[in-house]
Amino acid sequence: MIGYLLEIGQALLALLLAPGLVGFIRMVKARLQGRRGAPPWQPYYDLRKLFGKEAVVSGNASWLFRFSPYLIFAATVVVTMLVPLVAAPLPFDAAGDLLTVVYLMLLGTFFLALAGLDPGTAFGGMGASREMTVAAIAEPTIALAIFGLAVGAGSTNLGRIVAQTLSHPGAVINPGHLLGFTALFIVTLAETGRLPVDNPATHLELTMIHEAMTLEYSGRYLALIEWAAGLKLLVFFSLLANLFLPWGVATTLTPGGLAIAVIALIAKLALLGLAVALIETRIAKLRLFRVPELLGVSFVLALLSVTSSFLLR
Amino acid sequence: MNGNDALFPQLATLGSSLVLLFGIALLWRRSLGAYVRAFRWQSLALALTFALIGYFGHNHELYVVAVILAVLKVIIIPSYLTRLYERVGGRREAQPYVNIATSLIIAGLLVSLSYAITRPLVAVSKLPTRNGIPLAVGLILIGVFVIISRRKALSQIVGFLVLENGIALLAALGTYGIPLIVELGVFLDVLMGFLVMQILVYQIKDTFESIDVEQLSKLRH
Repeated sequence: MIGYLLEIGQALLALLLAPGLVGFIRMVKARLQGRRGAPPWQPYYDLRKLFGKEAVVSGNASWLFRFSPYLIFAATVVVTMLVPLVAAPLPFDAAGDLLTVVYLMLLGTFFLALAGLDPGTAFGGMGASREMTVAAIAEPTIALAIFGLAVGAGSTNLGRIVAQTLSHPGAVINPGHLLGFTALFIVTLAETGRLPVDNPATHLELTMIHEAMTLEYSGRYLALIEWAAGLKLLVFFSLLANLFLPWGVATTLTPGGLAIAVIALIAKLALLGLAVALIETRIAKLRLFRVPELLGVSFVLALLSVTSSFLLR
Repeated sequence: MNGNDALFPQLATLGSSLVLLFGIALLWRRSLGAYVRAFRWQSLALALTFALIGYFGHNHELYVVAVILAVLKVIIIPSYLTRLYERVGGRREAQPYVNIATSLIIAGLLVSLSYAITRPLVAVSKLPTRNGIPLAVGLILIGVFVIISRRKALSQIVGFLVLENGIALLAALGTYGIPLIVELGVFLDVLMGFLVMQILVYQIKDTFESIDVEQLSKLRH
């Protein structure tokens, strides 16, 4: 029973933290670029504003356009219940392992691409096509990078992987671990639409990927999609943080342990956010045709991670 | 025997994989400046790995080797390379013979292959550093691959230097450091080889107005 409460609590925590994380990265970026920037809680105001606004839907759009935001949001919320955010052995672990997580995210991406195509605008179609190009190369890499860890743990169950790493802390400086982390980090940047692949702050439609698909959305639909995008960022960050550096994750359900786990999670997310903001300030966007090469690097790293974990077991 | 025994194999493998990582990063880059930077970082990682093996293997000569290696391959050769490409021009590896995505996949396959061929060696070895051996062999293969798949003479020089790094890494992992005198001889050879290649690049540039080695196959120009 308490386990299920924990699951719900974890999902609520993720929902609560996600806009803050996005806002935090934006603020750090602004500071690094010498601007004052909006406060980190600005995305919460944005979400409230969007939920209060009327949703305008194009006359050409079908039911798919209205249905997709709910599905994307729901799929991402389910993922937050399957990923060990604060505690490792979760009751839902039996319901879905790493493959479920990867493909639930892909389901969200797929429907977002469909929704981009649905109203029949030029930019939507362009965004959808680019998103699919990126996703097709990024998705196997995510699975492969985590497989590198799964081989060591002997299970594709995310909770089991975390527990295994906690009981064998030496494994963290394994080459498999290191290569897997690098691979997953690159894919995180690609999948969550951050810089070298996509610019989250762009207003130039020609270079958009994620934004191009959401151009037609407004009101509560846009709010749901933006919120889901924030959640996705949070999920990827916590995969990076908790699978590769699992310290702080509660293995027993005591109030003290959970409090530490929440604080550790926030600290790790802030650190990763800082790193991403730094990277985004330092580098320029890649040309679209170089993106597959970058993702190729991360795929090869993930492949080597699995090879070395498998052979050096 | 002490508590460090568990840590040493891990750290040695970590060092080797860092060295390999920069070798793969090199394949992704296009500009010659990035090639030189990747080589510089790789050499730094290699020097640290040498120092690490020296520390855990109680071989203090390796510290000397690590310092010489750092001076030679992190400072001297990269700065010469930078000067070379600034003077010769042609800052980009515009069209390698094998495109970048394929190069990366081939690099992955080469490393997997080296895991396969060193498997018997690793299986019989009692060395704590044995897990790094496939990575070093992989790096040697990647060095060869850079040499044969890139067009510009400069990229090929970097490929040669990466190959040399791979051999040095393999030697350090496999033997805990060959005698200092041999190591010094190798360094001198690398430096001489590099200087000769540098002169050759200037000659190619003078004769063909380009450092694209494709031009060399033409009899007349």
